[in-house]
Amino acid sequence: MKRIIIDREKCDGCLNCNIACISAHEEGSNFYTVNLQSPDAETRNFIKFDAQQGYLPIFCRHCDEPECVLSCMSGALEKDQLTGHVQYDETKCAACYMCVMNCSYGVLKPDKQTRTKLIKCDFCDDKPDGPSCVKSCPKKAIEVKEVSR
Amino acid sequence: MNSNFSCKTCASADQKLETFISNLSVDTSHHRMEGQSVKCGFGLQGICCRLCSNGPCRITPDGLKGVCGATADTMVARNFLRAVSAGSGCYIHIVENTALMLKKTALSKGVLKGKVALAKLAEIFEIDETDEYICAEKIADLVLADLYKPDYVKMELVEKMAYKPRFDRWKELGILPGGAKSEVFAGVVKTSTNLNSDPVDMYLNCLKLGISTGLYGLTLTNLLNDVMLGEPSIRLAPVGLRVIDTDYINIMITGHQHAMFAYLQDRLIQDDVIEKAKAVGAKGFKLVGCTCVGQDLQLRGEHYKEVFNGHAGNNFTSEAILATGAIDAVLSEFNCTLPGIEPICDEFKIKQICLDEVSKKANAEMKPFVFEEKETQSNEIIDAVIEAYQARRGAVALNMNADHGNDDTLTGVSEGSLKSFLGGTWKPLIDLIVKGEIKGIAGVVGCSSLTAGGHDVLTVNLVKELIAKDILVLSAGCSSGGLENVGLMSPSAASLAGPKLRAVCESLGIPPVLNFGPCLAIGRLELVATELAEAIGVDLPQLPLVLSAPQWLEEQALADGAFGLALGLPLHLGLPPFVTGSPVAVQVFTQDMLSLTGGQLIIDDNAKSAAETLDAIIEKKRQELNI
Repeated sequence: MKRIIIDREKCDGCLNCNIACISAHEEGSNFYTVNLQSPDAETRNFIKFDAQQGYLPIFCRHCDEPECVLSCMSGALEKDQLTGHVQYDETKCAACYMCVMNCSYGVLKPDKQTRTKLIKCDFCDDKPDGPSCVKSCPKKAIEVKEVSR
Repeated sequence: MNSNFSCKTCASADQKLETFISNLSVDTSHHRMEGQSVKCGFGLQGICCRLCSNGPCRITPDGLKGVCGATADTMVARNFLRAVSAGSGCYIHIVENTALMLKKTALSKGVLKGKVALAKLAEIFEIDETDEYICAEKIADLVLADLYKPDYVKMELVEKMAYKPRFDRWKELGILPGGAKSEVFAGVVKTSTNLNSDPVDMYLNCLKLGISTGLYGLTLTNLLNDVMLGEPSIRLAPVGLRVIDTDYINIMITGHQHAMFAYLQDRLIQDDVIEKAKAVGAKGFKLVGCTCVGQDLQLRGEHYKEVFNGHAGNNFTSEAILATGAIDAVLSEFNCTLPGIEPICDEFKIKQICLDEVSKKANAEMKPFVFEEKETQSNEIIDAVIEAYQARRGAVALNMNADHGNDDTLTGVSEGSLKSFLGGTWKPLIDLIVKGEIKGIAGVVGCSSLTAGGHDVLTVNLVKELIAKDILVLSAGCSSGGLENVGLMSPSAASLAGPKLRAVCESLGIPPVLNFGPCLAIGRLELVATELAEAIGVDLPQLPLVLSAPQWLEEQALADGAFGLALGLPLHLGLPPFVTGSPVAVQVFTQDMLSLTGGQLIIDDNAKSAAETLDAIIEKKRQELNI
């Protein structure tokens, strides 16, 4: 099973992972053309700055015991047993946002525009070359690693 | 081999060069591309601002404005105008030095090899003077007087140089430039912290800088150099790494200021200097061309057959040229002299001397060129190079590549030599265009870069697509360096052209890609375009002529591009010039420019589709001309 592993010491807060995420979810776009000013532009990962601790990359951990899945009443969130990734089915979502409230890392959020769907990491649909954010990190602060669970 | 570096080198359109570089034991730009492959998305879109300590601010979904309130449109425009100003400054520095050199040459009654260029300039500037030295001095004075005007005083030669319909349009738009140096200053001030925030005003300012850059930095630099160094004439010449002859003491030249070598290149072939070389075991001295000043020497090569051994390659070939081990010294006077050559020069014991303070290399000797001391300076340079030769030859392994390049690149093409070749009139070319034997003309110009597929990859592929569509390609800049080394400027390349262009090329014995030499010669392409438009009686935007800088690299290229747009020409770029984060910039460059100047920016990094777009534009312009 693959996970995005964070080495926060390496993060410079450049936000390239944000751009990569938005671009990966804007069809046909690339780093030159992705519209960062669009109301639809949403990133599924975040960099927070803390005066003491520096930059904090916050990424979906696709947890082993995911609070979001456990709290989801409609079945929109499920843990894929094969890949280990937490998947979201928008059609089943009731927009109750129990997942948002229960996520231990504060990474989940409703979409800005309609507030009817969840914005969540989809591991770029398990593309063979890996998630876009990881490819875009100039410091290798985020990397895909194989984990046992 | 590749023992020292595990990383991959980037692709090159020049396969022999790619193999040569991948086997080198020194680090080159081609090796470093991989480590720099992850790019900053804000930088690519031009939406990062570092103008104050509240920044750097970036435009993100959660931060649609900078702290000061600057929008993406303002940030992009400021960054772009800053870059165009800097690029313009570079070219204006070159023309200033060249004009000063011409003035001093005239005052000292030095050598003026280009009588035709002198007469041409005298005619354009309306100087009635029979004494060639007084005439040359007057020409230099007029250029310098314009360059040094304040920004609120318009330059006088613009109207004399520019094609009238263009001049009139520029006047209507209020973009006639004041003193060229002051315009650079104004561009820098305008884009400082919390000054101008109006993107459209700043893009119009870019066009203004484009005009001063193009007419002075490009066109006049060529013509002033022609007066001192001789006009280009068409000939076949060797190119590539093969031009380096290990029997000689070899000096690689880089930069853009041919006039700085005027005295030295003649001195190197005088008997006493050759004797000095022979005394240390060499046959004499040879200059090996690299970057645009090498292209300039190649262009005027007819006058320098003995001292100049040929053009070895463009900016991103320079490290490979040095890594042959057969270069004994680098004389540089401007960009594109890569910092990457410095450790190679150290390792291979290559002497580096810089002739212009603006381009001091970190580990090089600084010897600012002083006209009055050129004799002494040249002798000191010669002695220093001989010393390097003695210390290094035999101690440094040679790694030659005699297969690289070719012996039959057609060079020396200029507005003057091409017209002479056609019989002293543009009519034969116009007739071929009217008949459709040549569908149109593409000026494929500018730099070489390692992006857009790799070293010269997009440039070469685009040119192949264009000539296959019967479009004649004219090239100027480092693009020429790549195109000549892969054989597209050899007469045999006619076989790659479409049937009609091929027939034209074969009957004339010319390649389908004509080599105008350095990036400065973009000014010569403009002269060709203007003379064609004049002969047909149309304005420039009506011509079936397009521009492309597929692998533009630097700020100077952006100033060149601004000139192209001011001329009203369609301009293709492989990669966007860091403006796509601004909807206003995209609108202005790709749409509104058509109604402003007639120009238009086209961005496409795919050779096939870009060629189709340019072909469609040429077809449309042909229809509008009823041909």
